[in-house]
Amino acid sequence: MTDPTPSTNDILSKIRAAKSAASTEAAPVASVPGSAPALGAKPAAAEAPAATSAPKSTADILAAARAKASAAPAAAPPVATPPAGTAGIMAAVKKQGAVAAPAATPGKPADIMAAIRAKGGVAAAAATAAPAAVAPVVADKATKPLAAVAGLSPAEMIRAARTAGTGEAVTPKVVLPSKPLPGKTAVGKAVADVPRRSVLSDLLAVVFAPVVVAWASFLGALGAAGLGLARFMMPNVLVEPPTKFKIGPTTDYAPGTVSTKWQAQFNIWVVNSEVDGVRAIYALSTVCTHLGCTPNWLEGEQKFKCPCHGSGFYKSGINFEGPAPRPLERVGLRLSEDGMLEVDKSVKFQRELGQWTNSSSFVGVG
Amino acid sequence: MLNAHPDLTSSVLIGLGWYYLLLFLMNFVWTIRSYREDGEYANGLPRATGWATYSSILMMMSAYHFTYPPEGFLISLPEAFKAPFDRYFSNPVLYFFLTIVGLWALIALREWWTKPKVSFVLLNASLLFMGLSLTDFDFRQIVGKPDNVPIVAMLFILAFCTWISFRRAVDNDRRIAEGRPLFEQEDNEKVLVWPDLVYTELICMVVLTAVLIFWGIALKAPLEEPGSSVKTPNPSKAPWYFLGLQEMLVYFDPWLAGVVLPSIILGGLMAVPYIDFNKLGNGYYTFKQRSFAITTFLFGFLPLWVALIVLGTFLRGPNWNFFGIYEYWDVHKVEAANNINLSEFFWNGLGKGLPKGSGLNTILLREAPGILLILGYFMVLPPILGISVLRTYFVRMGVLRFLVFSNLILWMAILPIKMLLRWAFSLKYIVGIPEWFFNI
Repeated sequence: MTDPTPSTNDILSKIRAAKSAASTEAAPVASVPGSAPALGAKPAAAEAPAATSAPKSTADILAAARAKASAAPAAAPPVATPPAGTAGIMAAVKKQGAVAAPAATPGKPADIMAAIRAKGGVAAAAATAAPAAVAPVVADKATKPLAAVAGLSPAEMIRAARTAGTGEAVTPKVVLPSKPLPGKTAVGKAVADVPRRSVLSDLLAVVFAPVVVAWASFLGALGAAGLGLARFMMPNVLVEPPTKFKIGPTTDYAPGTVSTKWQAQFNIWVVNSEVDGVRAIYALSTVCTHLGCTPNWLEGEQKFKCPCHGSGFYKSGINFEGPAPRPLERVGLRLSEDGMLEVDKSVKFQRELGQWTNSSSFVGVG
Repeated sequence: MLNAHPDLTSSVLIGLGWYYLLLFLMNFVWTIRSYREDGEYANGLPRATGWATYSSILMMMSAYHFTYPPEGFLISLPEAFKAPFDRYFSNPVLYFFLTIVGLWALIALREWWTKPKVSFVLLNASLLFMGLSLTDFDFRQIVGKPDNVPIVAMLFILAFCTWISFRRAVDNDRRIAEGRPLFEQEDNEKVLVWPDLVYTELICMVVLTAVLIFWGIALKAPLEEPGSSVKTPNPSKAPWYFLGLQEMLVYFDPWLAGVVLPSIILGGLMAVPYIDFNKLGNGYYTFKQRSFAITTFLFGFLPLWVALIVLGTFLRGPNWNFFGIYEYWDVHKVEAANNINLSEFFWNGLGKGLPKGSGLNTILLREAPGILLILGYFMVLPPILGISVLRTYFVRMGVLRFLVFSNLILWMAILPIKMLLRWAFSLKYIVGIPEWFFNI
């Protein structure tokens, strides 16, 4: 609270505190006839001074302007305007660059209203010129109708205030349902006529054409690079071992043995053993099913043992110790026409999926 | 006869000579300090006499190491000590149990072990134990490996950091109990960034650079043969700081130990400020005011991370088997590691055998005990904890925060639980569905 430059959070918390206080004590006031539109807006009017009682930073002023923008219609009926709210309005009016409010006594709403009306005449003259900054615009929308309709009844002023968002020439008869939106600037439409619009569009074209060209060429280059990358993924020459290769006749693999002679070249072990009562030759992939290390065949223990996390596999490839969740995978094996065993590494056979019974996963012997 | 694995060589003895010389210097300085501060016994003998004796023994040991040949050298660990030590201590269950006991002692005996004299005795004991163990060939192979030297250093640095925080905490707790101002308030002598801090940083930078250069020259980077996709080194170890993670991978499926658990560790640490409702202990050391937070952290850090790094570094050998610190790393060491899933325990226990088939319902039926157990663990346990043991936490935290908190605690607990289940019952997976790559 005593921070000279309050942060957004401070302001918000102040506003919330003021709002809850205002809504509790404003309840009876809101029931006054003729102040119906003030129902939603009055808490906002009450909160304005909380945030702007000592406007020190741009954030404060903006908060005041926003609060007042919604509070202004409510401020019009004198009955519904708490003194504190008018002080905020006055502060915001000053910031907006209009004539300083002559009424220095916030205690009398009637005086203030008179001051606003009197000032309105001056502001109305200034209102035809486009305000430069965005922040005053918000407040400007709220006071502009007041300026144009000086001397009208409060209800008419409220209606006029609502129409201010459209930015059209304000008359008391024009009543549009749209509420003034803080983000919507009325300036462009209000001041633009035909020749200026074409100048503006020319200007826009000049400003944006290079941006469009730059983005288009950037995206084009990106697309070309993407195509180049896609091409890179399909090289002309693949220096990989073939997925289909011959590993000699079945007699090279004695019953009950594990051959590691193709481990370095093709990442397979060739095993001649009995699995599920069938004597067969099959080829196991050397990739551990836990995290992909290469296990070692330990002849003494008759098992494959992975050095990374200690997974162990039987000669059949079935996991029995350590963390490996499933058996080693078989690769395709068949007896080719010339009597040689042919491995096809492009296909895998997983036991847990019941694929080891597939006749392409082994070659029966004996 | 030529011994391929000599316990003692002349270069080892020279190195140990320097080691004991440094130990002697350290204790010599301590003796001077003791002489000045500790006073005398009743008979007029200075209390520093004991330290002086110990220092002189160290100096004689150093001289003995420098001058005597390896043959017939007397100071080394006898086999009668090493063999039983390996047999009984090369056991993950006992190791984990000891780390938990160590954590308990760290906390319960904090008033005692943070005393300067006690901690200096403990430091001497650990250094002497290491010096004597270095006479063993296999211990030297592990500890002296350039990869592992920083881990040994890390242990001592970690011990120092733990010591200093506990010492400050014990001091502050005593101050709070006596109503005196905190150490941080009393000793708030502020210094300037320039020159005090910047000079300190400069000196640290120079010293650290010098140490790194010396280290880089003295210990060669342990380069190995060119990598090959078909030849995995045995044992194959992760970088030292990931060895805890690698040890976790022994007990869990890769996606769980490699992805889910690390993510929960990171997310959980980020969530700590939002879970913690204890506003005490902010900006000063204390244990009593934050006993739950500190104990939980230390449990996750010391036994579940640092101790697993030590285990992975020093105690895991070829084929990821468990080896004692004086044990030869035998590639053919046979270790029974047959693991069984919970579903097999359950269905075989019922005498029915596993439900066969790969249909959705069969798999779910097969793994139903494990699935129910896991669901109960994560969904039933938090409310039970909330109304019983952790009731005060539940009241202070509210539903959402308490659920996050209790689930993080349960996730942390699942690691030692799974490890104990593996060691005690050879349990492989609580839920094991290899068909879907889903194993817990």
